[in-house]
Amino acid sequence: MSARSPGRFIGRIILYAAAFSAVFPVFWTLLNAFKNRVDIVTPTPLFFFTPTLDNFAYVLGRASVFEGLVNSILISGASVLIGAVLGLPAAYAIARYPNRWSHDIQFFVLSLRFLPPVAIAIPLMVIWLDFGLYDTRLSMTVTYTLLTLATIIWLSVPAFARVPKEVEEAARVDGYGPYAIFFLIALPIASRSLIGAVAFSFVLVWNEFLIALMLTTSDAKTLPIVASELTQLGRDVPWGVLNASVVLLSIPPLLFIGILSGMLNSAFKRKTS
Amino acid sequence: MKQKNTLPVVFLSPAIAILAVLALVPTVYAVIISFQNRELSRPDGSFIGLANYISLFSDRRFINAIGVSLTWEAVTVGMTLIIAIGLGILLFECASPRMRSAVCFLFLIPVILPRVSAAFVWKFAFHPLYGIITYPYKAITGQPLDLLSNPLTALGTVALVDVWQWGLFFAVIVLKLLETLPPQPFEAARLDHAKTWEIYAYVAIPMLKAPLISLAFVKMIESLRAFDLIYVMTRGGPGIATETLDMYAFSQGFIESGRISYASSMAVLMMVATSLAFTFLWKRVKS
Repeated sequence: MSARSPGRFIGRIILYAAAFSAVFPVFWTLLNAFKNRVDIVTPTPLFFFTPTLDNFAYVLGRASVFEGLVNSILISGASVLIGAVLGLPAAYAIARYPNRWSHDIQFFVLSLRFLPPVAIAIPLMVIWLDFGLYDTRLSMTVTYTLLTLATIIWLSVPAFARVPKEVEEAARVDGYGPYAIFFLIALPIASRSLIGAVAFSFVLVWNEFLIALMLTTSDAKTLPIVASELTQLGRDVPWGVLNASVVLLSIPPLLFIGILSGMLNSAFKRKTS
Repeated sequence: MKQKNTLPVVFLSPAIAILAVLALVPTVYAVIISFQNRELSRPDGSFIGLANYISLFSDRRFINAIGVSLTWEAVTVGMTLIIAIGLGILLFECASPRMRSAVCFLFLIPVILPRVSAAFVWKFAFHPLYGIITYPYKAITGQPLDLLSNPLTALGTVALVDVWQWGLFFAVIVLKLLETLPPQPFEAARLDHAKTWEIYAYVAIPMLKAPLISLAFVKMIESLRAFDLIYVMTRGGPGIATETLDMYAFSQGFIESGRISYASSMAVLMMVATSLAFTFLWKRVKS
């Protein structure tokens, strides 16, 4: 903006340094995932080496990692699906049919985010033990539905509120009923922001750790738990394998980065115009 | 004019009913368990009244955990906001539109990473022998640098990872907020020969007060979920130097003695404290 170039130059250097710090640790982990152990355990960090796929082969061949992957996909997928099916209509009702409880409902949904995860995990563990459902995919899915449902409602209310009222009015004049308006008009128009909300809730439960740690011991362990167990191995740490498992764990959330940054952009753009 | 519309009831009640059951049942359960002396190995406990709560207040580890948690909140929230506002202004002031969108995209990577991944990435980077961050120190002094095993630096080192994840992400939001501001106040201030920093300190930041307070609020809630980072990087150690409340509750309930009732009383206190604090703050922010 200003013509004073030295300040601008320094500012850009700082920004490049920050961007570098955002990417480099991740890049370094990726690099290490392709190294043999001798290339990692070196006195000087190595940038050039003979890459190997052994780490990934080992990780994907391990039964525990494979089971964790399957559990993570099933549990996250099911809880996001239930959260979307129940949460999107609820968010629409809050956005379009405000009544005297709307504010309380929104505050209640938000207040679920205040609850410390330990405070939920400890009693849930006791409850699932009492029901005989401890360490099952079913109990994990139900528990995660609490997270996905609350998140999807919370993020979708503003998305539905941004749908122009005139469009819905016009549809009503054309003889559409309230349900048809939701499915045929509101849902498609708001779909981009809604996909962002659903993707966010997926990333949230995919990355979730504390609850999964307390509610699973063997059968229903999710991938973050399996990966963290690998990082706690003793002295002779298989560093390459560890880096590979971290890369595997991080790929699904990173796939959504485009959708999420698009959601961020649209959330702020609409406010100004 | 309108006939009775069933949509609000049909759309709202299942979601709200499920949320209410899933949230209220564990909460009530937590309170009940906290009045008992249940342990993992002994599922049938008896009621012992307030004994768990009373012994909490003479538990030095519990007092220590409160201190660690409060320090953690203050450090991570404060540093995140400082970094976010600083980088956000730099992005707004120095970067071309193309650079802005490229940097914003990269700034989102850390926060999307699973916490476990972020924790491991940095734990390895700080490894005293093979870490890339500690390498320059080792190369110059010949001594390994072990930040995570030093009680004085361990918490700060873990906090760095949290700020890395959230500070960069919030910088993107600060930039978007700055972009929504009307240009006239900036031009007026510039005509008055205000210096660049003065424009931000006295014009832009005060105009963004409300959204920045909301950001601080969101970060305070997120900072309560530091467990993953601490668990992977230090497990509360060295000693109890990085043992936050949730870490202590976890180790009491699971690792050490399996005293779920004792852990539950801690969880109930946390729940009450955070609910009170956040409801109070939320009402203040809204008004």
